[in-house]
Amino acid sequence: MSSETGETGKAGVIISPQNENPMDKFAHVVLDDVLYNLVHDLLMKVHRDEKMARANTAAIKVETLARNTMEGATTDPKPDVEVETDAAIYKDGKVTLKGNPLKTTKEIICPRCHLPRLVHPTDGKGAKKPEPGVVYCKKHPYVEKPGYDIYGQTWVAPGPGRGKKKKDQKLDPNDPSSPAPGLEGGAKDRPPNVLSFPSATCSKCKRCILVTRLNNHMGSCIGNSGRNASRAAAQKISNGNNAGGSQNNDNTPPGSQKGTPLPGSRAASPRKRDGDEFDEDADDSDAINQKKKKLKPNALTKKVILKAKSPATTGTHKKDKTKGSSMLHVEQKVDDDVKGSTVQVAPKKVSNAKGISPAKKIKLGPSKPPLPPPANKKGKRDRDMESESSGTLSSPPR
Amino acid sequence: MAARPTTPASPKNHKIKAPQQGQPVYGCEHIQRLFNQDQATTNTSIQHYKAILRCVFDTNPIISQTAKSLDGQIITSLTPTYLCLQCPSTLTDDDRQKHGSKKSHRFYVDSRDGALYCQMCDDIVWDPTFEDLRLRKLGTASFFTSRKRKHEELFSSADPLRDNPTYISANTTAVSCKANGLRGIYNAGATCYQNVVLQSFLHNPILRNFYLSDGHQSSSCETPHCLSCAMDDMFQDFYVQENTNGYTAANILSGFWISEKKAFENLVTTKEQDAHEFFQFLAEELHERNGDGKKPETGSEHSCNCIIHQIYYGKLQSTTTCQNCQGVTNQVQSFLDLSLPLENLGHKKGKKAPRPPKLTLQECLDEEYIKSDKCEYRCNNCSSMQQARRQTSIKRLPNVLSIQLKRFEYKQGRHERAAKIDTPVQFPLELNMLPYTSRAKGQDVRESFELARSCVYDLISVVVHVGEMDTGHYVSYCRVGDQVSSVFSPWRRRRERLTGGGGVGVCAKWFAFNDHKVELAQKSDVLNSRAYLLFYIVRSLS
Repeated sequence: MSSETGETGKAGVIISPQNENPMDKFAHVVLDDVLYNLVHDLLMKVHRDEKMARANTAAIKVETLARNTMEGATTDPKPDVEVETDAAIYKDGKVTLKGNPLKTTKEIICPRCHLPRLVHPTDGKGAKKPEPGVVYCKKHPYVEKPGYDIYGQTWVAPGPGRGKKKKDQKLDPNDPSSPAPGLEGGAKDRPPNVLSFPSATCSKCKRCILVTRLNNHMGSCIGNSGRNASRAAAQKISNGNNAGGSQNNDNTPPGSQKGTPLPGSRAASPRKRDGDEFDEDADDSDAINQKKKKLKPNALTKKVILKAKSPATTGTHKKDKTKGSSMLHVEQKVDDDVKGSTVQVAPKKVSNAKGISPAKKIKLGPSKPPLPPPANKKGKRDRDMESESSGTLSSPPR
Repeated sequence: MAARPTTPASPKNHKIKAPQQGQPVYGCEHIQRLFNQDQATTNTSIQHYKAILRCVFDTNPIISQTAKSLDGQIITSLTPTYLCLQCPSTLTDDDRQKHGSKKSHRFYVDSRDGALYCQMCDDIVWDPTFEDLRLRKLGTASFFTSRKRKHEELFSSADPLRDNPTYISANTTAVSCKANGLRGIYNAGATCYQNVVLQSFLHNPILRNFYLSDGHQSSSCETPHCLSCAMDDMFQDFYVQENTNGYTAANILSGFWISEKKAFENLVTTKEQDAHEFFQFLAEELHERNGDGKKPETGSEHSCNCIIHQIYYGKLQSTTTCQNCQGVTNQVQSFLDLSLPLENLGHKKGKKAPRPPKLTLQECLDEEYIKSDKCEYRCNNCSSMQQARRQTSIKRLPNVLSIQLKRFEYKQGRHERAAKIDTPVQFPLELNMLPYTSRAKGQDVRESFELARSCVYDLISVVVHVGEMDTGHYVSYCRVGDQVSSVFSPWRRRRERLTGGGGVGVCAKWFAFNDHKVELAQKSDVLNSRAYLLFYIVRSLS
């Protein structure tokens, strides 16, 4: 098959020994030819890249020259002049080559920014110092140096003194402080090519989180999972009430109609059901009816406070409050709480209030009132109610 | 030689490529002279070149590799021969010089890659006109842009104003030469399984062209926490920004957390997950954001014009033949990826050889898409359960073929646990999928070189899982540059022309991505890796 009948193929690299039998010789020749083809293909690619880049460089240079010869009129992309360089001719807005650009043109100019290209990397394998004073194109050859990336950058190893073994550093999915693997080096004095890990803003709570902890943060912030989620949630519920419940709101996935899927609400919901049952059982009791009346305005008052609107409604609110105070000391406190908190988060709450269907609000109302007289139990119940309502309020997505 | 297809006489005058700024009009002075003789010479030269390219790429290579020496001897060579552009003779390297001085024919075409050799320069010349034809041939299997896949026509630019180069330069700011899409992605805490998949998406030239040509603009999208918008932002950040620091995929991550896909609920945790599942998740999510809104149903034939379907989805055909009545049932279903089991094959091979089994990708594909298996099935003709032969083949190949090697399996038995199969699987840089297609079944395709060429795939990225099952880590390799097909993909529009990333003209380089760290990789590193996911891109969009 080979074009040669001699001892070797076209590449002339694999030479069969003397006195080999014909089949073996043939095999050597074929192997040699295959090697030739490999080199040929590789060479073609490199040749193409290089020669086209040089030819384009010659064209760019002569075009620039043409524009510069036209005094001042550099805006015209095709000036009507005739210029010539060693490598190319510019005539009638066309560029033609003179000779082989591989011979006539020595450097490569970036076709976009018209700055010379750096041909050697500045660091690592095959590095050469770039000529001082030359402004190069920003596209540099890639650096090949152990411990550094293609731009010659390296990263600060996260937090010293964490007592982590290298193995642990590799990957520990459960650990929120698990650093990104593959870190090497990390000088203390931080030269400019040593980067540190950035922070990112959580799209939900807008807090700045170190990137290595972002997933865990989102787990607890959006997805409500992760190791600390339940603990954090419980904490928020227990002391977050005074803060107006706005932090609790964050735990509700947008679009969810169920309200806050936190342990707190899990505790609350069965009791709510209890209340409903109770409501049905004791529907005709006078006390309940009275409270029902009371609570409807109560829901209204919330709105009123938020909008701070007509004096008439405020009147009912006041009246309502005085009426209620005799019976429900704690519940009144709730009102106060809401008042206090809404001062800060008023606009948000307004939109929230809009988002809830009135039917739901009314339904929420009656679930609350059936409070039996004992005061301490009442208090507990109210607290539940509060967390519940704040959860419902939060449900529309922001 | 004589077998070269005859060119139909065309009344059309062939034109040379219009002069472009920053580029010479001709490859060398001698081609300039050739084209400036008269229109007839230009016509014949271009027609001959086209015919030669067809001969080189679409016929049996033996034709272009066979030369007739000056003394009449027929020689078939393994090494390249030279096809004369000015007459229908094929010459060996040695005879080329003599032929030139005898007939004054100065231009020859290399039989391996269709490159043009100029005898007067004594060098290969890359003439814009000829090179354009050659790339078109390589990239689309034809010389005409109109013969693209039908659905892609929907996306081809219908706005001549927007394609006007002066309009482009007037309305855009040039992107920095530094922005090349090579950046790492920070690990946000056990998210390397996401990073590797994102990198494979980022270095998918078709997807890149789609996003960079405003296929999905985050500025005009209304959907809150849209993952496609997050992708758009990421593509902009990678290919437009000058930053070389790692990227923080916060929006992707939050979109992932917020997404309410039931099928992927288990995936949304702070723990390390399966990259393949994340790939499926991302593909489905992007399909829903860009496509017809229908859920991609697995197991049915789902056609959609969205970018994800056009890139990743192919069709499988399973043919069930009843052993009793010989009745044939065909079933077609879409696939996002090909999942290849390693376990059984590994055992089979392991029995034969005492050494640890070593598989090739082709062997795994043979097992799934060439061999048939027995199954029980209810035959309609016989109205009873029958033994049947089932055979699966690929009905339509996707533009980007994703292959999963099932390295993770759930071991049944006393110790139920998931285990990793570490069997090395050799995979090629260039994969021919023709044997696994439905068209290859039952007919001889050995002579259809054009068909075979349309089934050739090039490796573009590899996702590797290193380490143990629970404590492992994902890294990936991606190829950048030298993708002929991407140049002709319909989404290559104005911004792509300004951005530097990839494209023809740059020798392909491999890069290793390890979270935020990007390094140069050798081909041997890539090929010796224990691949988990493989992404191949079709060489020519036929």
